[in-house]
Amino acid sequence: MSLLTLNKVSKTFGNNSVLDNVDLAIPKGSIYGFIGVNGAGKTTTMKLILGLEEISSGEIKIDGEVVTFGQTKTNRFTGYLPDVPDFYGFMTAREYLKLCGEITGIPKKHLANKIGEMFKKVGLEDNKKQIKTYSRGMKQRLGVAQALLNEPKLLICDEPTSALDPNGRREFLTLIASLKKEMTIIFSTHILDDVERICDQVCILHNSKIVAHGSLTVLKQQYAQEQIEIQVEKKDDTLFTNLLDQLIKEEKIQAYTKKETAYVVNYTQPYLAVTHTLFAKCEQKDIAPTLLRKVAPSLEQIFLEVTA
Amino acid sequence: MKDVTIFLKKEGLEVWRTKRLILILTVFVLFGLISPLIAILTPEILSSFGSELNITLPEPTSLDSWMQFYKNLTQIGIYILAVFFCGSVNGEIRKGSLVNLVTKGLNRSAIISSKFIMMMILSLSAILLSFFITAIYTAVYFPDNDSPHIVAGLIPFLVFVVFFSAIILLGSTLFDGSMASLLFTIGVIIVLYLVNIVEPLQAYNPIQLIGENLSLVEGTMELKALGLAIASSLLLAVTAYLFSMKLMNKKKL
Repeated sequence: MSLLTLNKVSKTFGNNSVLDNVDLAIPKGSIYGFIGVNGAGKTTTMKLILGLEEISSGEIKIDGEVVTFGQTKTNRFTGYLPDVPDFYGFMTAREYLKLCGEITGIPKKHLANKIGEMFKKVGLEDNKKQIKTYSRGMKQRLGVAQALLNEPKLLICDEPTSALDPNGRREFLTLIASLKKEMTIIFSTHILDDVERICDQVCILHNSKIVAHGSLTVLKQQYAQEQIEIQVEKKDDTLFTNLLDQLIKEEKIQAYTKKETAYVVNYTQPYLAVTHTLFAKCEQKDIAPTLLRKVAPSLEQIFLEVTA
Repeated sequence: MKDVTIFLKKEGLEVWRTKRLILILTVFVLFGLISPLIAILTPEILSSFGSELNITLPEPTSLDSWMQFYKNLTQIGIYILAVFFCGSVNGEIRKGSLVNLVTKGLNRSAIISSKFIMMMILSLSAILLSFFITAIYTAVYFPDNDSPHIVAGLIPFLVFVVFFSAIILLGSTLFDGSMASLLFTIGVIIVLYLVNIVEPLQAYNPIQLIGENLSLVEGTMELKALGLAIASSLLLAVTAYLFSMKLMNKKKL
């Protein structure tokens, strides 16, 4: 069952096409990674879902209701966390959450408790400090609190970790992952590492189209190639390169690339057979590898493969 | 209406905490204080230039004080208001602070209504404060009967401020930058001055509301003579307000 569907959605700015006939269905209860390079149209897609941008053609539905531009009623289902949320710096966090709660229509008698719950959930202190004194990380936490205040069915996070330091990022991802059971989450980002850490479904946006989508495990099976990382001593570099070229000719391996001091070898034969061959050839040439390890398929590989 | 009340509370807190309320009231209190003071001091300042100028100036009256008051407010005061409020809508759109609230269901028209109400509350209270200060000082310094209808003089000016606030609001919704919206507001006033050259249109021109205040104060003109200008100003204000709402409803945030 899909909570959010995009049906042949297109968006153009003048002659520039940002989205071209995009179809997408986001299942309930998933953390959905929405990936694309900067400027790929991720934020535009999020804004279309929120009715903040006018759709050029197609239709977006949330929980079966059509999203309309301007004042969409579907926003009662959503919580939105922008990349750099802007709050009223003259307010305290409690005052800001109260403002959001009143707009959402949370009854007055429940609002104070609800705000208290949100402070606990996001790990923010309920004090008299004005928001203008908050750090980036604290603002992001407040952003999550306001987004969760109306208990949304769909939480939309637009590049939420791009402005955070490594600690803030880790804490933020843990927080988002903990919400999985309560709601469906769209996590738009260009940081692939973040997606691998928390998302179970992904889609990759490239050149105005969705070029891959599905569960991370399936995509890895579909796109990512088996790889071995191997390192030899510097003096053996030329000899080892010749060896790898010969293995390609013999069709024992597919290709190799040199990344800094290591060689990354693509193969299709069974791992055991490939390592046997490599070791045998190295022994013949009197080369002793200093490192050899199997590289797990990564989202980066998939991304590079589908956007090539 | 619920959204207007909620957002208006936020606007009120904003003008209080950012000290804009204090700032705007201080400026207009100063206007209220200096208007009678300038009326008193002008003859003395001129006579201090020396006897060789040989100027004979009549004794200042309460009318000079009110002349100074309207000069200050119509030539400086309203433009200070324009500077204060020209970024009220586009400033929030630029910063992105409305996104969270609109996606929570805040009615976009309520944003415009609240901004307009707050603009009028601040402008009108600042002007009224200034007016009362001038009235008290004028009564103290110039105990004459030359200005019998001071309230009648103020009414068209207050109507003009309502019209002017609606124009600032429209400029701030129409343009993305504060400078552009300020220039738009000033441009509208320039156009109104130009329109005033066309005699058949004069009676309807809002600019009339800031040109005849002294005649009303001294009683040489009656308020009903400005009836058409008052009506057209209010009509234009409502039009600008409704147009701002329409623009806001389709504005990208």
